[in-house]
Amino acid sequence: MANTETEAQVPVTVLTGYLGAGKTTLLNRILTEQHGRKYAVVINEFGELGVDNDLVVDSDEEVFEMNNGCICCTVRGDLIRIVSGLMKRRDKFDGIIIETTGLANPAPVAQTFFVDENVRAKAKLDAIVTVVDAKHLPQRLEDSHEAEDQIAFADVIVLNKTDLVTPEELAAVEEQIRAINRFAVIHRTERAALPIEQVLDRGAFDLNRVLQMSPDFLEDDEHEHNDDVTSVSFEVEKPIDPEKFNAWIGALLQTEGPNLLRTKGILSYANEGRRFAFQAVHMIADGDFIGPWKDGDPRVSRIVFIGRNLNRPRLRRGFEGCVVD
Amino acid sequence: MSQAAAQFLLETRGTQRELDAFVVAVCFDRAGGTAAFALGDGTLRLVSMADRESWRSVDVHDGAALSLAPDATSTGFVSGGDDGKFCRVGADTTTVADFRSKWVEHVATHAGEKGKGLLACAIGKNVHLFDQGGAKLKELTHPSTVTGLVFDARGKRICASHYNGASLWFVNAKEDSPRKLEWKGSHTGIAIHPDGDAVVTAMQENALHGWRLSDNQHMRMSGYPAKTAAMSFTRNGKWLATSGADAMVLWPFFGGGPMGKAPIELAGGDGVVCTRVAAHPRDEMVAGGFADGLIVLADVNSSRVLPIAPPGRGPVSALAWSPDGSQLAFGTESGLAAIIDLAKR
Repeated sequence: MANTETEAQVPVTVLTGYLGAGKTTLLNRILTEQHGRKYAVVINEFGELGVDNDLVVDSDEEVFEMNNGCICCTVRGDLIRIVSGLMKRRDKFDGIIIETTGLANPAPVAQTFFVDENVRAKAKLDAIVTVVDAKHLPQRLEDSHEAEDQIAFADVIVLNKTDLVTPEELAAVEEQIRAINRFAVIHRTERAALPIEQVLDRGAFDLNRVLQMSPDFLEDDEHEHNDDVTSVSFEVEKPIDPEKFNAWIGALLQTEGPNLLRTKGILSYANEGRRFAFQAVHMIADGDFIGPWKDGDPRVSRIVFIGRNLNRPRLRRGFEGCVVD
Repeated sequence: MSQAAAQFLLETRGTQRELDAFVVAVCFDRAGGTAAFALGDGTLRLVSMADRESWRSVDVHDGAALSLAPDATSTGFVSGGDDGKFCRVGADTTTVADFRSKWVEHVATHAGEKGKGLLACAIGKNVHLFDQGGAKLKELTHPSTVTGLVFDARGKRICASHYNGASLWFVNAKEDSPRKLEWKGSHTGIAIHPDGDAVVTAMQENALHGWRLSDNQHMRMSGYPAKTAAMSFTRNGKWLATSGADAMVLWPFFGGGPMGKAPIELAGGDGVVCTRVAAHPRDEMVAGGFADGLIVLADVNSSRVLPIAPPGRGPVSALAWSPDGSQLAFGTESGLAAIIDLAKR
């Protein structure tokens, strides 16, 4: 009989990283490992991919601006078509992996999964995985915004080619990554070797990480006026008033969207037994309940901002102002 | 009329199958003797009107079928798939062209006189044009990926939608340069008025855009809660029926419209989005399919609505009339395919 239930959204993993960082090596590992799963892989050119069970889709990266009055809202038109095309196939996929070109800004890929209704209905962003080269990252960060953005957007960072640097250099480069994005999981690898479950099926943008990281209690409460990407997080213990939060975050994203690369939060709403997960890429936001608070877990609300020119005291006051009276 | 009546209509006048694959498209051949359903499992299912209970399955694509049209001749079909193949399916199946790793997402055909029919398919940014025999005529290149493809009623011109507008090409031009119809944004589908004077595109932002070719006037049609996936002009071009709202939305293309005119809405009120529309080829009637599986037929002038098939078996993903308007075929995402005989008895 016909199935009228809503099918689960297919998880999407976005793989970014500079040319030569080890992105293709990682992709090959994912595709050749015996994991018994079936992936559709969207790439820009056919390379030396060892593809057996999986489907490779060849695509041009077509980044489109949306006519919705939002200057930083761009989407990948090709992905909208590909995701809807894949959903027509009879053999369903366990996941979709999207490889971006080395210089790509991850924002349009991520925004595609928030903006397009048809895509949202069928697929959800699982994680952005950024592969970086331990030896050359400092140089890349010097000469390009893209390298910094790719780290800022990452949920998972594969710090590759660790065999080519000294322990001191490795520690320094990891510190550089942390200065940009304190919330991503970092895996140190040689030849991109790591268990693939560290990369795939991370779940809900790794939102739980938001709760695991310690918030900025002890940080200086000052506004950073520079172009470097940083990350901040705040925590409140009193329940959040959804109306106040929506009003505040809506206005904030509207004005600060271009500077806010990613925003993620887990919120405890008043009189609500479930956790509310919030996330945004620039101005484009999305939110949903993600299951109940567990007994014994502290019911605190956390929010994380990764971006440029973050006005920490204002963000803190704003978030703290969202609690119920 | 009740759902029970619609169920009765489907049972007494319909032939139906559960095909267990996404119905991507449906159409009839030009003679109206056979209907074809293109499926997400790569097959075409052919149903002869002479023997409506024998459904024939033809393996065409290794993957999903993505596009379907009647062949330029009186019988047979052309289809495109995610296996990169542009195929012709009749008594037997032949591959017109193989684009390997590229998807064949759009096909269009025109029936010309004296064997001068045309076949076209879009591969990424390029439209490939073939004669009726399948010999390549030319390749038309666009600034970005083609998202919709249509011939005008006379087969003189072919029009493709893409990012920032559409391109209108004369098929027989010696030098190939298109008339560029420009409008900023992502255009995701296309229709051309039966008299050839207006081109309309669907847009990413839940709106339509149009160009009147005689005076370059722009048309903006907005207010949709969802993207418009289907557009269909009524027989004489008076109305453009569209999906994307919780009713069939029809824009007037007469009396100076659609500029400054409100559309009419048919078969609305349930809060369910209309996913497919198909204007009747002879009468001023429009069939509509909805996200809950409901199929209706509406008379444009009286606004009377007749339910044809009840909801419940997946969002309608394909809908087409036979050339004489006596048969209505439809399919759903969850794999129901059906043809209903609406001929007078």
